Amino acid sequence: MDWPTGHAFATALVTGLLLGGLFTVTALGLSLVFGVMRLINLVHGELLVLGAFLAFELGKHGRLDPLVSLVVIVPAMFLLGYPIQRILLGPLMTKGAEAPLMTTFGLSIIAVNVFRLLFSADERSLNASYATASFSAAGIDVPAIYAISFAFALVLTTATHLFMQRTGYGREIRAASEDPEAAEVLGVNVARAYGLTYGIGSAFAAIGGVLVGLAFSFNPTTGATYLLTGFAVVVLGGLGSLKGTLIGGLLLGVAESVGAAFPQVGDGYRDFIGFAVFLVVLAVRPRGLFGRVG
Amino acid sequence: MTIHRRTALVAVLALALTVPLVLVGWSFRSNASTSGTIKIGASIPLSGPLAGFGSFQKWGYQRAVKLVNANGGITADGAKKKVELILLDDKTDPNETAANTSTLITKNKVDALLGSCTPALVNAGGVIADRARVPLVTGCDPLEAFKSVKKWQYVWDIFFWEPDLAAAPFKAMKAWGVKTNKKVAIIADNGPDGIVVGGTLWPAFAKKFGYTVVSKASFPVLSVQFGSLIESAKSKGADILLVDAVTPPAVALTKQLQAANYHPKVIVIEKGAEPVQYAQAVGKLADGVLVGGYWDPSFPYPGAKQLKAQFEQQTHQTWSQHIADSTAAAQVLLDAFATAKSTDKGKVNAAIAKTNKTYVVGPVRFDANHTSKLPIVEDQWQGGKTAVVWPKKGATGKFLFPRP
Repeated sequence: MDWPTGHAFATALVTGLLLGGLFTVTALGLSLVFGVMRLINLVHGELLVLGAFLAFELGKHGRLDPLVSLVVIVPAMFLLGYPIQRILLGPLMTKGAEAPLMTTFGLSIIAVNVFRLLFSADERSLNASYATASFSAAGIDVPAIYAISFAFALVLTTATHLFMQRTGYGREIRAASEDPEAAEVLGVNVARAYGLTYGIGSAFAAIGGVLVGLAFSFNPTTGATYLLTGFAVVVLGGLGSLKGTLIGGLLLGVAESVGAAFPQVGDGYRDFIGFAVFLVVLAVRPRGLFGRVG
Repeated sequence: MTIHRRTALVAVLALALTVPLVLVGWSFRSNASTSGTIKIGASIPLSGPLAGFGSFQKWGYQRAVKLVNANGGITADGAKKKVELILLDDKTDPNETAANTSTLITKNKVDALLGSCTPALVNAGGVIADRARVPLVTGCDPLEAFKSVKKWQYVWDIFFWEPDLAAAPFKAMKAWGVKTNKKVAIIADNGPDGIVVGGTLWPAFAKKFGYTVVSKASFPVLSVQFGSLIESAKSKGADILLVDAVTPPAVALTKQLQAANYHPKVIVIEKGAEPVQYAQAVGKLADGVLVGGYWDPSFPYPGAKQLKAQFEQQTHQTWSQHIADSTAAAQVLLDAFATAKSTDKGKVNAAIAKTNKTYVVGPVRFDANHTSKLPIVEDQWQGGKTAVVWPKKGATGKFLFPRP
């Protein structure tokens, strides 16, 4: 068996870790919604793609840099997600797990078709100088966009943790997550807590979409790929654990990149390696690496 | 009473057996359509990664049908009939292409079919059409990938031949006398034509033209991460990078090459760099990228310039080669109906076989393998548009070297 050279291995490790940051950001919203509401948000991928399309349109018509356009996109996506939960999903949540799940599935199909109508089915990409720039660190060429994504992963995970621990809204969300009935009795507005969670999850998905659009490309059907990756990250890290989502994303990125560095393997088997590691971890630790929302 | 009941039972049974037999016999009497229109079906990628190609095909097919109908239709089965085009979206999924083709044949009862785009989709639909003995004319399927499936009876392909495509970059470099270190890296997807072009043809032509393949790798068709493959090609110092990929990975790879600080002097990206969406997605990074071409509005074929002008005027988009092969495929099929003067599938098929005419995409004449070869040129993206850079005679631009 041929081993990668030291340089190739180091490059794969570093870029894999940073790429894992991108995986984390794309999965964070999914993790939050599941952790708090026990809802598998099947429209998460389309919320991600919507963020990318909004950045594309703001760039095309408003000449806004994609990352700068987040100033507009994040609140817009929150304002989209909040009423979706309050008006559409909230009333269904008392009717069992299937109704809201199927509703999000229906929303994802509608979203894909709306994207095609509004934006066409063409492949798109977000352009900025930092999307294709790199910098050298200890002799390793590091794609700048991966480093930016890693930074976003750290900032968003930390910010979410602090929000949950240190704010009134965060306490409400945690209480609603632990025991919604008891929380309601104690005066927590559970419906509002869920709405906030879904709004934040939608905003996080959009941030992930902008990063994906910068690093790669997207079209109306790209969401499904990142929904799948998001599931893997969330389950790997432990359902409902923010820390787990961060570590899970980084682990997946490293596993894929280091595996692909082996000459016999290459990038062609990235996904296979990533999901093989995912299965091995679950076989050893079925609940994932870490616990619940913390 | 018993006899009366028995007689009734026998009569009912006889009727139950006879009616279907009569109907089956009636259907075997003629392969021709009994409808007042000539129905043409097509399953094309209107969504998914190849939606860019599909949109051009849709325009080409619809245009050909519109022109025929504007002239009153086609005389077939003793009557002047308009042509009805039924388009279904196969979502860039070969399973959908196969299912759609079945639907078009059994439910929509089409008289003939037009093909999808790229070997996986075209071949999936073609197998269904061939089995059902419904004529299908297609472009957008490289000839070896088409021939490798089966000995076709009812399916016909107008496109380029992969060895011509694979040789074109080397011929272009030789014609322009470009100086490189003659080291080649190949990255190709594991789709049918990626395997042929990247796996077999490029290595063979590299050797023939005196180049050395220092790195060769394949990847799943829709993969978008190329870190290791780029690192391998870069570490081997290849001046020439040959890529065979559809548009999403082509876009991702182009960006990742830049981010990895790897700047080969010559980059060829087959398939994925062909539609204008590629250049729009990567912007200036497209400049200098080479891609094989089989049609340009400057070619001396009837209606070539007008086709481009009409497309751009109607859609406000930049033209693509696929407007030509799709228009021609549809025209070949419609001409076959006119020649056969019938919607009988066998007669239409026989008429297609006898096609010998120059269309907007070039001369079309099918060989024993049901293929009609289009000559290849080498295009290069320059300032958001493609220029023909080889052959030098007829070139519409100079070869940009090294890649900016």
